[in-house]
Amino acid sequence: MTDTTTAPESTLDPSPDPSPDSSPDTSPGIGVGQVAAEPYAWPYDGRIDVARTALINIDWQTDFCGPGGYVDHMGYDLNLTRAGLEPTARVLAVAREVGMFVIHTREGHKADLSDCPPNKLWRSQQIGAGIGDLGPCGRILVRGEPGWDIVPEVYPIDGEPIVDKPGKGAFYATDLDLLLRTRGITHIILTGITTDVCVHTTMREANDRGYECLLLSDCTGATDHDNYLAALEMVKMQGGVFGAVAPSDALLGALQAL
Amino acid sequence: MTDTTRTGLDVDEAPPDPCRVAGTVPYAWPWDGALAGRRVALVLPGNDPGWRRAAPLDDAAAHRLALAVAAVRAAGGLVVHVSHPPAPARVLPANPARRVDGSSSGTDAWPGPRDERDPCVTAAGLDGFYGSPLDALLRAHGRDQLVLAGWGLEGPVHSTLRSANDQGYECLLLTDAVGAITPATHQPALSIVTMSGGIFGALGATDALCAALASLVSSTSSSHSASSSVQP
Repeated sequence: MTDTTTAPESTLDPSPDPSPDSSPDTSPGIGVGQVAAEPYAWPYDGRIDVARTALINIDWQTDFCGPGGYVDHMGYDLNLTRAGLEPTARVLAVAREVGMFVIHTREGHKADLSDCPPNKLWRSQQIGAGIGDLGPCGRILVRGEPGWDIVPEVYPIDGEPIVDKPGKGAFYATDLDLLLRTRGITHIILTGITTDVCVHTTMREANDRGYECLLLSDCTGATDHDNYLAALEMVKMQGGVFGAVAPSDALLGALQAL
Repeated sequence: MTDTTRTGLDVDEAPPDPCRVAGTVPYAWPWDGALAGRRVALVLPGNDPGWRRAAPLDDAAAHRLALAVAAVRAAGGLVVHVSHPPAPARVLPANPARRVDGSSSGTDAWPGPRDERDPCVTAAGLDGFYGSPLDALLRAHGRDQLVLAGWGLEGPVHSTLRSANDQGYECLLLTDAVGAITPATHQPALSIVTMSGGIFGALGATDALCAALASLVSSTSSSHSASSSVQP
């Protein structure tokens, strides 16, 4: 059984209410329980409500960050996609501690590849890492294979849903939205790989659906460092067109202050 | 004319493939070499006053887009205009450009060439597929080769491209007929498309698209019959 009751509001409530006389919308100051994020203090609507917030870990699979997986096979530097693993493990531990809803996603296809668009299959074959081909970690990006599973550092525990997706976006052709709504989630914190592909697509989908999103900058990585940086910038454009970005320490600090 | 010094082996060994667009990266688009006007839709996300203001096309890009629209139409392709809701309240203070004022709404104010028969869809988000009939429309018209251009490269154009690609559409982004939100993210937004062998599709130039579509038109008008296999 998962513990459906969330962590109670902290029993330590050390500081008196911060200056109730100042109107909250006049300065971009950071309130208690808010994350020092860019381009605005996250969430936009006040302090973090753990009961309405989900941590979504995107595609921490061997295929994307482990030796012998898909990304390794394509010749990219694994250090870039692994960089966010350790901070993500820290965030995951705290999220579990405070009772936050945690969801994991995996990209992969059915064994017969009947859910793999032909152009996607063809492109992967062109660069010598064909989806469904046998690699050191089993068949590339195929559900149930060792390379498709989540790496041990951030492995799901009982009660944490895993969303298997055929595409880059975690909302497309999955039950993610239903899971979030049913649980009453309105706010999403994202980690995962890769920043510019699956994480960005999912964040865009979530933002379109009205979820208030935060991307943890040190808990994500891309196969190209410039694209990682650009993907973070794109979130922050236009006053936060897709949400906000913050380092994980800022989130942990805000959670501690709750 | 490009062979300046070499004279030996640089024969143009094969005529340009009439079923693909020349010069696209990272692969020759479309993947199956079966470019067909009846399968093509030119999809234009960001075609609303807010996005046209926030990520405008310069004169050269506007000219290219007009050429692309004409070429797609002439080849039997579909041109679809996509508009989006105004920015949420949270981003508006820093982003007055996206405020939709009362003077203009929908796609009416677009000064470019627009045919009354062009479908216009309104999405519920930056992804042109989200909360819109775009997918149903494209399927009903049998369009699976999508050419994307328009306003807001890093915003609505990218979101729509990503969504289309996940759904199996074969996508080409016209790099010279799209408006970026900021110069800093313009090139990376293009580069991201080409990762991992074309993770969201391919990039191409308008002139090459127009030439490929024109060659299809001329080859089908000369030989009246075959549509699927085009032989030189």
